[in-house]
Amino acid sequence: MRKHSPLKLSKLAIVLMIAVVILAATPSQSQKAAAQGPQNDGMVCTTGPSFSLTSHSGYIGTPDGNVVYMWGLSSGADDFQYPGPVLCVNQGDTVTIVLHNTLNRAISLIFPGQDNVLADGQPDGPVFSGTTLSSLAKTAAANNGAVTYSFVANRPGTFVYQSGTDPAIQVPMGLFGAIVVRPASHSNWMFDRAETAFNPDREYIALLSEIDPILSQRMESGLSFNSRNYHPRYWMINGRGFPDTIAPNYASWLPGQPYGALAIIEPWHETDNPLPAAIRYLSVGSMDYPFHPHGNNVRIVGRDGMPLEGAALEDLAYDKYSIPVGPGQTWDALFTWHDPEAYNSNSNPVTVTFPNIMDMFFGPFFSGAPYLGEQGAIPVGTTSQNQCGEYYHIAHNHALYQITSWGVPMTGMATYTRINPPGGCQ
Amino acid sequence: MKKNMLSSRLSRRDFLKVAGAGLLVTGGAGVLKKFLLPEMSALAQATPPNKIFAATDGWIHLPPSPIYPPFHPDDLSPDPMFTTYIFGFRDVTGQTDAQILNQKMKAQHSAPLFWLNEGEEFKLELRNLGLQMRPDLTDAHTVHFHGFKNAIPFFDGEPSSSVSVPMNRAFTYVYRPHDPGTYMFHCHVEDVEHVHMGMNGLVYVRPAQGDKFVYNDGDGSTGFDREFAMHLSEVWFESHWADSHIQLPEWSDYKPDYSLLNGRVYPDTIAPNGMGYDSNGDLIPPSSHPELQYQPISSLVTCNAGDRVLLRFSNLGFMQASMTLEGIPMRVVGKDATLLRNGSTDLSYMTNTITIGAGESYDAIFTAPPHSGGSGADVYLLYNRNFNRSHSQGSFGDGQQMTEVRVYPGTLSAQTDPNT
Repeated sequence: MRKHSPLKLSKLAIVLMIAVVILAATPSQSQKAAAQGPQNDGMVCTTGPSFSLTSHSGYIGTPDGNVVYMWGLSSGADDFQYPGPVLCVNQGDTVTIVLHNTLNRAISLIFPGQDNVLADGQPDGPVFSGTTLSSLAKTAAANNGAVTYSFVANRPGTFVYQSGTDPAIQVPMGLFGAIVVRPASHSNWMFDRAETAFNPDREYIALLSEIDPILSQRMESGLSFNSRNYHPRYWMINGRGFPDTIAPNYASWLPGQPYGALAIIEPWHETDNPLPAAIRYLSVGSMDYPFHPHGNNVRIVGRDGMPLEGAALEDLAYDKYSIPVGPGQTWDALFTWHDPEAYNSNSNPVTVTFPNIMDMFFGPFFSGAPYLGEQGAIPVGTTSQNQCGEYYHIAHNHALYQITSWGVPMTGMATYTRINPPGGCQ
Repeated sequence: MKKNMLSSRLSRRDFLKVAGAGLLVTGGAGVLKKFLLPEMSALAQATPPNKIFAATDGWIHLPPSPIYPPFHPDDLSPDPMFTTYIFGFRDVTGQTDAQILNQKMKAQHSAPLFWLNEGEEFKLELRNLGLQMRPDLTDAHTVHFHGFKNAIPFFDGEPSSSVSVPMNRAFTYVYRPHDPGTYMFHCHVEDVEHVHMGMNGLVYVRPAQGDKFVYNDGDGSTGFDREFAMHLSEVWFESHWADSHIQLPEWSDYKPDYSLLNGRVYPDTIAPNGMGYDSNGDLIPPSSHPELQYQPISSLVTCNAGDRVLLRFSNLGFMQASMTLEGIPMRVVGKDATLLRNGSTDLSYMTNTITIGAGESYDAIFTAPPHSGGSGADVYLLYNRNFNRSHSQGSFGDGQQMTEVRVYPGTLSAQTDPNT
């Protein structure tokens, strides 16, 4: 049964959508100091190469109106957040991460894809108590312990960092984040290949995760949890479930969930907009998420911090419309939207009768017209979030039971790609 | 299902106000026809659709045993040979309005297989006939052409960014396909429910290079003699039962009981195709299989030794499927409607197991092996090796997401239609 009336959810969604529109129209908002390049949309980089991460407990909001206890990693003196910050470094940087632990249990970090990681200056690796494996990495002790990890970021790409201690508990509880290593040669290439160039104003990340609220409840209550009972009920992008995913970065009503997932692009154009958007997909979940962006295929250019290239450096990139992002995997993709038909109401209308507006249900993001940059009549009483005839395409997990939130459908692991008319909304 | 609607949507009462209550109450073909007619002022520019699909509810057959009380078989079924309540599409192209109206509660699964030609505009009209088992619901429907490149939202079918089709209304989607390959389509309204309930199927785009090629490969490497669509879907009894009994499942408990191949499980998968429609517009069941009346698509692969056989896989279940063709290697030449090639670099590969995630498609070609002698067919099995995804009797066989590949010694005539 539904826990909340859909009407209530709809109102909430509409309030959020209005906020999106207002904020999208306002270029500058107050941002946290730790983040570089304050922005309403797009990947928020926390720049290094020296970082300080502190674990906190806190609460997040879920699309069904629930509040869930989580753990998270925050930069510097920032308050609790979920997920951890995106650590952006350059290829060749010596990355240093000081982990401070405020939780009442030992935690650690592992860095899959990074070689020769040091912990407090010594080679890091599995930690044993006698013959028992106690952690995948050196820990920061409970209640204000600390440990310093360092490594040289040898390869460009997208990587996960996550807890290496009791990971079946600590990762789904929120101790994870992303690392982006930019090639030494070009900061707006995904890899050291010209084919991976992207528009630096259109760089996005989709860090996919899942939450079992019973696990969270057990941790909040100081109880143990048997992982055999693990059963996720929420599925998130960048720590939020739809429709929160389309709210701006640092939306004030999502204080512990700073990162949005709305991508904003314009149609590809040979001279005016030749470069694609970059989208970095990562998963810290427990099963493949078959992520499906509507509107166009993505071009997969890298996997798990490796460019798709052959032994002779030949380009092995390929196009896909469903991206099966597996646990711990990262997929680096380029995205464009082309307008091959160039439909417009004056000289090139769609070749079908536009029905009477009373004969259709209008979605809240529909402009009332089939045409990019045009708006049309909308039934009386309909609320539209469309600003200037821009297009919206959904991008979502196609294991469709995962775009629900513990009983509320059409929420969860979904977001939108917004396609503005050329030149943007005027 | 969504009982109450966003404030942006029209309520049923609004329709009654607009249309006049008497029209809907009396119903009937003549009245509905007025609803479905396009605006008079625009008739001049309208050309007829290439296809008309109806969206409605219905009943299908899955093995009634083992039972799984109270969910399977469904006690509200109108006939014991039908076990499972569905939502679905029907191809009603060429039917009269009266015939089309007769198809309410006669949905099929999986959805009708169809194809388009690269570069040729294609119009698909969708008519929403309503849900007979659920008079309390006012669900709209759409067609989402999954994977269509550079779609505009108006024809994409995702209801929040576009429009959807209320009951007793029609809408025409226009596609100009530029990219050959294998796609799928589904309703995107209340998508976890409508897709799972059966509103999904396979669609493909033939390349300009010719009907017997998968892609414009330029070298014949994707050529084939015969082609078979293998559309994967799933049935979770509890959710189907919930829909017929005016209940809601908890979707995060999702666990499919049956995994289907073109809407059937083995050995029904090897039963023949349906035989068109009768004078009422209803489907004529496959020969000797009245229970498969609303599951008209056969998955039986027949070919001659030496034939190049194309298998088009698509998956609109929610779980990964690992389809194994035992005894015959396949070459995967395309994924997600994309030729596996980058410039001059061939990215195709040989395998005997293809793992297909939700919303993915794979194009695989095999060469039928030599015949072992005699006049009968050599039989090979194509099955999902995730065996526990089907509610079988405990032994491997009946109830599985499986079909047969039958290789003949050259006695088959040329293929005229896919899946024949």
